[in-house]
Amino acid sequence: MTGKERVLKTIQLEQTDRTPWVPFVGCHGATLLGLTATDYLKSANHIVNGISKAIELYNPDGIPVIFDLQLEAEALGCELTWADNNPPAVTDHVLTNGKTLSDLIIPDKNSGRIPIAIEATKKIRELHPDIALYGLITGPFTLTLHLLGTDIFMKMMEAPDEVIEIMEFTNEVAKTMATYYIEAGCDIIAVVDPMTSQIDPTMFEQFVTPSAIDLFSFIREKKALSSFFVCGHAEQNIEVMCKCKPDNISIDENISLTYVKDIALKHNISFGGNLKLTVVMLMGTEEDNQINALECIDLGGNKGFILAPGCDLPMNTPIENIQAITTIVSDSYQQKVLRAKEKSETSIELLNMKDYGSTGKVIVDIITLDSESCAPCQYMVEAVKHIAPHFDGLVEWREHAIKKMEAVSFMNSLMVKNIPTICIDGKIAFVSQIPPKQKLIDTIQSRLNEKLKNIILSKNAELTIITQDETSGNELKSNIETAMKETGKHYKININTTEKLASKYGVYEFPAVILTEHKIKSQGETPKVEIIKEWLKDL
Amino acid sequence: MEDILVKLGYCVEFGKVDKNAPYPPDMKGQDGADELTKQAIEQGISAAVILEDALVAAMNRVGQKFTEKKIFIPQMLMSAKAMNAAVAHLKPFFNSGEITRKGKFIIATVKGDLHDIGKNLVKMAIEGAGWEVIDLGVDVPTEKVLETIQANPDAKIGLSALLTTTMGNMQVTVESIKSKYPSNAIIIGGAPVNEEFKTKIGADFYAPDPQSAVSYLNR
Repeated sequence: MTGKERVLKTIQLEQTDRTPWVPFVGCHGATLLGLTATDYLKSANHIVNGISKAIELYNPDGIPVIFDLQLEAEALGCELTWADNNPPAVTDHVLTNGKTLSDLIIPDKNSGRIPIAIEATKKIRELHPDIALYGLITGPFTLTLHLLGTDIFMKMMEAPDEVIEIMEFTNEVAKTMATYYIEAGCDIIAVVDPMTSQIDPTMFEQFVTPSAIDLFSFIREKKALSSFFVCGHAEQNIEVMCKCKPDNISIDENISLTYVKDIALKHNISFGGNLKLTVVMLMGTEEDNQINALECIDLGGNKGFILAPGCDLPMNTPIENIQAITTIVSDSYQQKVLRAKEKSETSIELLNMKDYGSTGKVIVDIITLDSESCAPCQYMVEAVKHIAPHFDGLVEWREHAIKKMEAVSFMNSLMVKNIPTICIDGKIAFVSQIPPKQKLIDTIQSRLNEKLKNIILSKNAELTIITQDETSGNELKSNIETAMKETGKHYKININTTEKLASKYGVYEFPAVILTEHKIKSQGETPKVEIIKEWLKDL
Repeated sequence: MEDILVKLGYCVEFGKVDKNAPYPPDMKGQDGADELTKQAIEQGISAAVILEDALVAAMNRVGQKFTEKKIFIPQMLMSAKAMNAAVAHLKPFFNSGEITRKGKFIIATVKGDLHDIGKNLVKMAIEGAGWEVIDLGVDVPTEKVLETIQANPDAKIGLSALLTTTMGNMQVTVESIKSKYPSNAIIIGGAPVNEEFKTKIGADFYAPDPQSAVSYLNR
């Protein structure tokens, strides 16, 4: 199934093999090419290259051509202020500067940057026939706001007819833009109307609904699919948005996915969202992104859900973060692992592993998802199981399937992050890859040798008798020798009569015995301060 | 006397600016905040009583309804407009010192960010709550904020950012203010900002909406 098929089917509530993934790459395309937002958004070639790069890096099922809600406003004569790191901002609202509605004309194919948008769409369509292409148009309400500025809010109350008249015009602009994008090859027209989050459902129905119904039915007649994008706290309007009959609605992290899902599916409309843009995508780690994506996938369910960010990706979103999402979307095995880990990560007690692995035997722990259902886990367990008998009882192994709480706690205590992992005496030895037989044997053998050496060296103790006369010293020595003989142990015995040594150990009555034990605490590594502190506590 | 204050409060709460205002439709032709304030002063009601009992009380109700999502931006702006029509008549009493503002509030959209809608909404809500607001506008450099604090040492500060890319500038401004004026409270807000970010940069309060900024200032 191609990405395009996956997106189109999902939008129409048909079954697909997995959740489709649509990263909203806007100015982020400039980052991928090392350009400023200004240079990028003003060149069809740059946009084509940026989107092609994004397709190569993120393997999406669908992608927007351009994410720039100022394009129509600019074509209608609003002044834009350009920035290097952001889309431009509308800084002059044309209808508040002496112009009237009758001065405005519907943009043609040569107005403003429309020719750039059309050219970019055509080229991307040609280069990437299997990706669903989104043509993004500024929603009529948001475009009206660009034309009127914040005056729109008071005009809605004081001069509603005037606002409705402008809305009728901006809706014609939207239909024209939709036509341009569809003709150039877009599959889906996304009507992006974020400012509708600022009004209530009654006003939405009064000002937005009439034009939106007309716009979505127009897109349908043109044989394209449609999506209604909103962002911000727009819960109150989800129901009225659905009643405008788009094919899909898309929301951001401010609205709960389950809330939208319930309403959308009730209206037989598919839905998308709501990856967290800033805290997670821009500022989080790769793991945060995978967790967030999986949450969305699980909440969205397998009917009519498209995984997407809530809005235009921040320009400097780390590439690895987006790629981490790509991985989790397409790999159901990784999803299972993450789910099992996530299930219990809150409220896990960490075990005290300080003395783990200090017994005579070598302990091999295999952390798995579950060796019965996960193939790599199964092979890893079998590898260990197979070689253990060679060590004749000196090697003990066990599997920790993290479907169980204790296993998760064990895994976290050993700081294991990947599944499956082999730990030898509490230390991570093999991650994800199943070790070749000989390598596994060698690793266990070298740990055994190390232990043996420790055992031998720990026997390296000595007894010092401090005395003032040889007679009492010799008597004591003979008692010690008897005790050694009876316990089968042999340590070196010294007899010392110097006062210097007595004062060193603080001995003031004689005879005295000093036992000095030499214990190897580490070798072949530089233990951290924390670890050394633990040793010192024992003294 | 109480009757007129109740009416005035109602006009502010429901956004009836003056007699000619078409909104709200069910109050067509009736006196609005403008006329009623004038009448109240003529009747000898003290400016302080008009301000507190009618206007500020009404704006508190508006803020509450906004927080509860019973009303939205358009209704709130109409209330603010009615409030301003009323306050215009109280100017002489502010000037004479008979009534005072609750304090000063400096507000700005941070450097690099040109978005003013959110900032303006917060400004109106805070003005409505009885504070004197010094609006530095958009794309405001840190130095400008620092100078303004120097001239108004007791002021609280509000900073807005809409873009993820200007959040960094917000951090710079907050840190500069805190290193020079550690005791001046800073409120931050805007689409990409959240509680976590507030803690990270050392601001005092994150306001998800205008009303929570008002509540924080009035606490």
